[in-house]
Amino acid sequence: MSERPSTPAPPELTCDRCQLPLVLGKVKASYLGNSFEVELSCCPGCGFIYVPEELALGKMAQVEQALEDK
Amino acid sequence: MNAIASPLADTESVCPACLRTLPARRVLEGDDVYLVKRCPEHGAFKTIVWRGFESYQRWGARGSRAATPPVTETPIKRGCPHDCGICPDHRQHSCCVLLEVTQRCNLNCPVCFASAGREGDDPSLAEIDGWIDRLRAHGSPVNIQLSGGEPTVRDDLPEIVRRIRARSFDFVQVNTNGLRLAKEGGYAQSLADAGLDCVFLQFDGVSDAIYRHIRGANLLTLKKTAILRCADAGLGVVLVPTLVPSVNVGEIGAIINFAVARAPVIRAVHFQPVSYFGRYPAAPADRDRITLPEVMRELEVQSDGMIRATDFAPGSAENAYCSFSGKFFVSGDGCLSAAATESAGGCCSASSGCGCGLPASGDDAPRARRVVAGQWAAEAKPANVPDIPGIKIDSFDAFLAARRHNFSISGMAFQDAWNLDLERLRECFIHVVSPGRRVIPFCAYNLTSMTGESLYRMTNDECAVA
Repeated sequence: MSERPSTPAPPELTCDRCQLPLVLGKVKASYLGNSFEVELSCCPGCGFIYVPEELALGKMAQVEQALEDK
Repeated sequence: MNAIASPLADTESVCPACLRTLPARRVLEGDDVYLVKRCPEHGAFKTIVWRGFESYQRWGARGSRAATPPVTETPIKRGCPHDCGICPDHRQHSCCVLLEVTQRCNLNCPVCFASAGREGDDPSLAEIDGWIDRLRAHGSPVNIQLSGGEPTVRDDLPEIVRRIRARSFDFVQVNTNGLRLAKEGGYAQSLADAGLDCVFLQFDGVSDAIYRHIRGANLLTLKKTAILRCADAGLGVVLVPTLVPSVNVGEIGAIINFAVARAPVIRAVHFQPVSYFGRYPAAPADRDRITLPEVMRELEVQSDGMIRATDFAPGSAENAYCSFSGKFFVSGDGCLSAAATESAGGCCSASSGCGCGLPASGDDAPRARRVVAGQWAAEAKPANVPDIPGIKIDSFDAFLAARRHNFSISGMAFQDAWNLDLERLRECFIHVVSPGRRVIPFCAYNLTSMTGESLYRMTNDECAVA
């Protein structure tokens, strides 16, 4: 879920569908009943959220595993 | 007036006198659960197993997490618990495997599940290589606990740790009374340098009177010194109190306070209610036993409610009635607060990902291994994950940082010839490698009859297999 896009993200990221540059927006990431507010690159048109691979396989995976491990 | 017994479920056990397998029944009397059985030769036996029916039902609601072991090596001939090795009737993978590297000890405790003494031959390094090679051939690396006897009486213990690490086992702990760690400067560091992760330290209380009673010597100062040595060497420490009714149950709160004051060096307290196998003074009465729900209640009472019995849950992979565990955060002023209790127990694990709402049963033991290793080893340093430009993930960082300051409290109820429930034994995930290289569930390995007869520990048959 994204809310109120604000600061521009690095200019090289563009939404393929809307052809709009992604901007930094607040995103609520939820897993196993825990929520984390982070800021990721989002499309101001369709709300698409870009999760960098290094985040998905790095700290986001660490958080997921920590929650799974109770 | 005696309470009326209501049957709860049928299971199997053994006769405490002759160890033959017997039908058994769990029954409810008043608010307590007992195991009852009758041997045609030695008569009826009735033993308390759980005091408090409300928590008994909650623990049972977790359900079985049974899984087929990836490798079984002994055929079913006489039936559980007489075919361990592991046989195809077993219902859980190995999580932690004990290697008994010596039968010698530098104490002579009145209570000792291993009946350790001062003399004896140690297995050679080549024999130990054989054990760990066999374990490694079973598949993914289990957690290893070096046990005995007192493992530190071996001068080559660091070399044993090195050899285990060289075979890519991820987590190695040593079960010790701490005497050598305290007395010999540099010894803890030599174990850490070899790759040891954790010291599983016998710690029965915070007064010497307790140690004199349970261990036969004043040991508190030595325990404190051992903990300091571990801190200097970067080793995680888990305090392991053996709880004996009328001796140290009143120390539970003081032990927690002692441990929390020394967090994060002390990573956890793991309570073990006394069980009656190996060496003990006399056949036990029910008043000689403290059951897991009583330990949880004592934790609540003796912490003035800082810890609540409801902060605890059954373990994730073993039989529910074998253990409890809870995770806590340590605040700056030394208080504990329970971590969020919602867990992966009701959701797919990342690796199974089948969407069914439960992890695949075979995932439980690997996850339990990972959780124990992560909690009991020295406080983890932040993982080396580079910052990613253009995003803000402070909440992930804060969560991961807080997790590094957590503390766990757990308990495990071993079973003896009186309270042995074979349904629990089949789901055991704490195993021992026997001298014959067989992998045997801990409670079966240590099982002794009331006259001291053992099913597996160092019998002539077992040596012949070796």
